[in-house]
Amino acid sequence: MSHKAKEMISYAILVSISLIFIFPLIITVTNSFVTEMEIGLNYTTKLSLFDVLDQVSENFISMNIIPSQFSFGQYKEVLINQPSFIILLMNSIKITVPVVIGNLVISLLSAYAFTIWEWKYKEVLFFVYVIVMLMPLQAVLVPNYIIAEQLNIKESYLAIILPGIFSPFGTFLLRQGLKNMPMEYFEAAQIDGANKIQVLVYIVLPQMKSGIAALTMLTFIEYWNLVEQAIIFIKDYYKEPLSVFLSRIADGNIGVIFAASCIYMFLPFWFLIVGQKNLEKGIELSGIK
Amino acid sequence: MKSKRFDSTLLFILPGLVGFVIFFIWPFIISLGYAFVDQPVNGVFVGVQNFVDLFRNKAYLKGLMNTLIFMSISIPLNMFLSLGIALLVNKANKHKEAFTLLFLIPLVIPSGSTVFFWKMLFAYDGYLNYILSIVGITKINWLETSYVLFVVVLIFIWKNLGYNMVLILAGLNNIPKEYYEAAYVDGAGRFQCFRHITLINLLPTIILVLIMSIINSFKVFKEIYLITGNYPHSSIYMLQHFMNNMFHSLNYQRLATATSILVLMIAVITQFLFKMERKVSR
Repeated sequence: MSHKAKEMISYAILVSISLIFIFPLIITVTNSFVTEMEIGLNYTTKLSLFDVLDQVSENFISMNIIPSQFSFGQYKEVLINQPSFIILLMNSIKITVPVVIGNLVISLLSAYAFTIWEWKYKEVLFFVYVIVMLMPLQAVLVPNYIIAEQLNIKESYLAIILPGIFSPFGTFLLRQGLKNMPMEYFEAAQIDGANKIQVLVYIVLPQMKSGIAALTMLTFIEYWNLVEQAIIFIKDYYKEPLSVFLSRIADGNIGVIFAASCIYMFLPFWFLIVGQKNLEKGIELSGIK
Repeated sequence: MKSKRFDSTLLFILPGLVGFVIFFIWPFIISLGYAFVDQPVNGVFVGVQNFVDLFRNKAYLKGLMNTLIFMSISIPLNMFLSLGIALLVNKANKHKEAFTLLFLIPLVIPSGSTVFFWKMLFAYDGYLNYILSIVGITKINWLETSYVLFVVVLIFIWKNLGYNMVLILAGLNNIPKEYYEAAYVDGAGRFQCFRHITLINLLPTIILVLIMSIINSFKVFKEIYLITGNYPHSSIYMLQHFMNNMFHSLNYQRLATATSILVLMIAVITQFLFKMERKVSR
């Protein structure tokens, strides 16, 4: 087999696999422009009178890539006629934005401190950060719950937001990014406190743009996709983030599910498009070395 | 005595460190304490009784076993597939970025956005069974029989393959081109090159991917919960389901004990793998 033919085959394999991978996305996007009625027809399997007359005995859900009638109806319904959706979208924003900003500020300060700090045991302390960072969510939920109860914030978003802000992952990620920076940058910082702030703001920050972008994206994606904490801390349906609510959309309301899903995935998707390089960088840095 | 100068670095580390101790270290120590007493308030020390009870608890064992079964199927499969696809993408010079983008999409879009799609795909009257019916395969109840494990593994791979792929691509990038050139001069074949250069040099990356996969595999609970709700088929009853139930019944000792075991297991496994990574890196 010639080199050219081999290349064609590997391309063909790659294209087919990636098509399978984005099939859920394609269906969700295209079906968000279908009329609510058509969604009702395609995604329910109750037999209609016509089916019975046609002697159809079973009905399957059908997924069509191309809408038979193009419509913005779902978006209009979700964004204008159903205020509950906007409330839930706001809930997701209210949790995600404080975590992203808070965690970024805290992580920047800590990562910088870990880099310039001259303390014998700083690596030991950093190791504790790493161990906690490696714990899956399931292992930190109980500690989260205990402290939320002690601080009496169990019923509020703070129970989710505060641990998010102090999560050690950001410190780790940014410190990894700082390791590649020449030490001369920091030598000026050895003098006094005011100087350290100046060094951070004027010298270190501009060099850390991609690390900051990566951390922002990774934190945003994680908290936008919040599920576990919501199940444990949030008891009120209308305080839930969209992720949990979308799974509860009942039969009567499936007409708008695809538009709702699209609006919900728009921001992280857009981040990926504009920040692919940074996201890849973030993933590479998150791999512990 | 003012012999020691105040270190202003402390001002930078303190906000994060105080929060870290309050929200992670301190409650974790309390939770560890709960694991050894009979009740949270005025508890009496009971030694390892809570651990003994936990390992006699059928629901816990089920959750633990299922989590381990899920990991031992999905992690190797995902690593194998992401290695294969990363190798293909790495060869697609011009379109490397575009393909990477496509495989990263599942990672970034929220689980909630695809829940309805998965439900409709795997429903008893769903689209997958429709396709199967065309080729003459009778309907399979994907979500309510033990086939659901297969569904969960599939969704896990769909979501996490991109992450592994990026790590592996970075690893492939770090292998000096000269190695291949030298091997080529020595008359090595393509398979030999793959085995003796690519795989050997990729070994640290592969261990790294394994560590991250173990940690990431717990995240599959999101999808399981969103698709199958509070009461899934028993084959995908995971540790997190058990813990959710304990949260509902406010059984602190059991929660704390289960958490301690989980922390211990993760710490031991990752430390072991890190040691191994350092060994093969040398």
